[in-house]
Amino acid sequence: MTSKTMTAVNFARIKPHLPWITLLALVLIVGIADTNFLRPVNLVSMAADIVPLFIMALGMTFAIYIGGIDLSAQSIANMTTVIATLALPSYGIGAALICILAGLAMGAVSGYVTTKLLVPSFISTLAVGGVAFSAAQYMSGQRALFMDATMRDSTFGWMTGVTAGIPHEIFIGGALVLGTWFLQSRTTFGRALKAVGAGEPAAVASGLNVTRIKIMAFALSAGLAAIAGLLFSVKLSGGSPTLANGFLLPAIVAVLVGGTPLTGGVGGVINTLIGTLIVAVIRSSMLYFEVDATKQQMVFGLILIAAIALTIDRTKLRVVK
Amino acid sequence: MGSVLTRNVLIKWAPLIVLIVLVLFFAAMEPRFFSLRNFARIGISSAPALMVAIGVTFIIIMGSIDLSMEGTVSVCAVVFAFAFIAMGGTLASFAWLALPLALLVGAVVGLVNGMVHVWLKIPSFMASLAMGFVGTGFALLLTGGDRVRVQDELFRSLLTERWFGFPIMCYVALLFLLIGWFIQTRTTLGRNFYAVGGGEELAHASGLNVNRVRILGFMLAGVFYAVGALLAVGRIGIAETATGSNFMFVSITSVVVGGTALWGGIGGVWNTLIGVLIVNVINNGMVVIGLPGYVQDGVLGLLVILAVVLSTDRKSVTFVK
Repeated sequence: MTSKTMTAVNFARIKPHLPWITLLALVLIVGIADTNFLRPVNLVSMAADIVPLFIMALGMTFAIYIGGIDLSAQSIANMTTVIATLALPSYGIGAALICILAGLAMGAVSGYVTTKLLVPSFISTLAVGGVAFSAAQYMSGQRALFMDATMRDSTFGWMTGVTAGIPHEIFIGGALVLGTWFLQSRTTFGRALKAVGAGEPAAVASGLNVTRIKIMAFALSAGLAAIAGLLFSVKLSGGSPTLANGFLLPAIVAVLVGGTPLTGGVGGVINTLIGTLIVAVIRSSMLYFEVDATKQQMVFGLILIAAIALTIDRTKLRVVK
Repeated sequence: MGSVLTRNVLIKWAPLIVLIVLVLFFAAMEPRFFSLRNFARIGISSAPALMVAIGVTFIIIMGSIDLSMEGTVSVCAVVFAFAFIAMGGTLASFAWLALPLALLVGAVVGLVNGMVHVWLKIPSFMASLAMGFVGTGFALLLTGGDRVRVQDELFRSLLTERWFGFPIMCYVALLFLLIGWFIQTRTTLGRNFYAVGGGEELAHASGLNVNRVRILGFMLAGVFYAVGALLAVGRIGIAETATGSNFMFVSITSVVVGGTALWGGIGGVWNTLIGVLIVNVINNGMVVIGLPGYVQDGVLGLLVILAVVLSTDRKSVTFVK
């Protein structure tokens, strides 16, 4: 065995562990530089702040896991901030249900267009995102809307409350990651998802209803994006067609940095948890090192390229288009 | 055989027929639509979009995609504006050098784009999406979020000076359309785009340096994005981070609606002209007949799905991601 193949083998062995090693290293570096960073209060508030993004990234994980992408996530979240604000006065807690259903439906449309009409997912989700953006503008009358404070607190106060020093957002994020983890690793749907991600033609050949599985994956992605929008809307007490702008890039980064490659099949929601924490640590370290907020997008764009290049499974791509 | 012929003929002429039907429809709905003034308005909104769409046409002919145009356009616009103002602020001085500089910047961004895609073997939609984020981030970094005003009358004559009712920018766009046509039909590079799109492995087997063609394609696209950026700045007299926003959705939709298939190998710059006109006639027509502007994104979304569906030969595509 030559030394080059040796390194290749070693890298392949280390690769699955890279995300958490990266996270640990980042936490240590930032923790040493800024002693305030490791204070529990700071860590908890950092975690609570990232939860809406985390929920969107959880959803995105399913789209990427099957080898697709969901570029509509941000528009769906935007749309649900508007729906949540508008539906709250008349439907109360039912507003949450409407948001989630709207998200699932939009995602199912993306899935249908991708699988049945053979439109690549980056185009179909972009298009459905356009529809969602129009819908949000129509419903909001192109204005920023505000929730009635007392109504918000009585209906959705539980989302943003604090128990024993822990913000409730963390519980919500925790519940969702447990739920999606269960779905991914303990159900036949999860198994089927893995089969599709690992190799679609083989999954078809073995008799799986790949179309249905893929539609469900896109529906889940948009459904979770809707929950992210709902939570964000409650946090900011309002909604607008552009409220969640800026979520898409970090959500994709979180999934890929976590170790779910663009080619799908490996990784999963726990990886996305780690990836989101990496994003959170990078963000707060940029604040500490006084990196201008205007540089953040560039930094995350470059991280995205690096993460894709490191994780992508090139044996699956016969031709890189 | 007969059905194949009708299908091909239909696909070839459908976009033009759609355009004519749309023009007649809007003219019937509102006579004011059918006036030189309004056509000039459509021309003004089409000119920058046409440049960006022609750029991405070359990429789509190769069977790849470029989603970086928003970032590239913003960077070119901002760099141009800063250089233009720094070197005298009027075309009558050495500030005209800012024009070729902008084209150079576009080429460099495209080059980087192509290298990330080809060398790191990242699928183009993701490589270019990430590069687009980096570009927007870079433009934000340069401007710090400010708007840069370009008020030179000579430069603004792109919009203000009219020949036969149409502003100069329309003629500039026409000139570059012809240049694009020349590249497409009369140069080796142009023929190679089709070779790569028609079948990459075949092109490679026949001795074509596919990677080089790809990188050159992205460079060429970058130059056209830069021309689009210049026209966009000429239109509103402002360069900012948001100069590029919306170009991605509009240009991809235009190219696909014009009849250049997402799978590569067919279509060209004239298709793109028709596509850009269709999109802008719809946008303009909806406003003229009194529909609110925000339905545009939704309509474009449906349009792009429809166009991809119609242009897909379902027999030759087994599954999409």
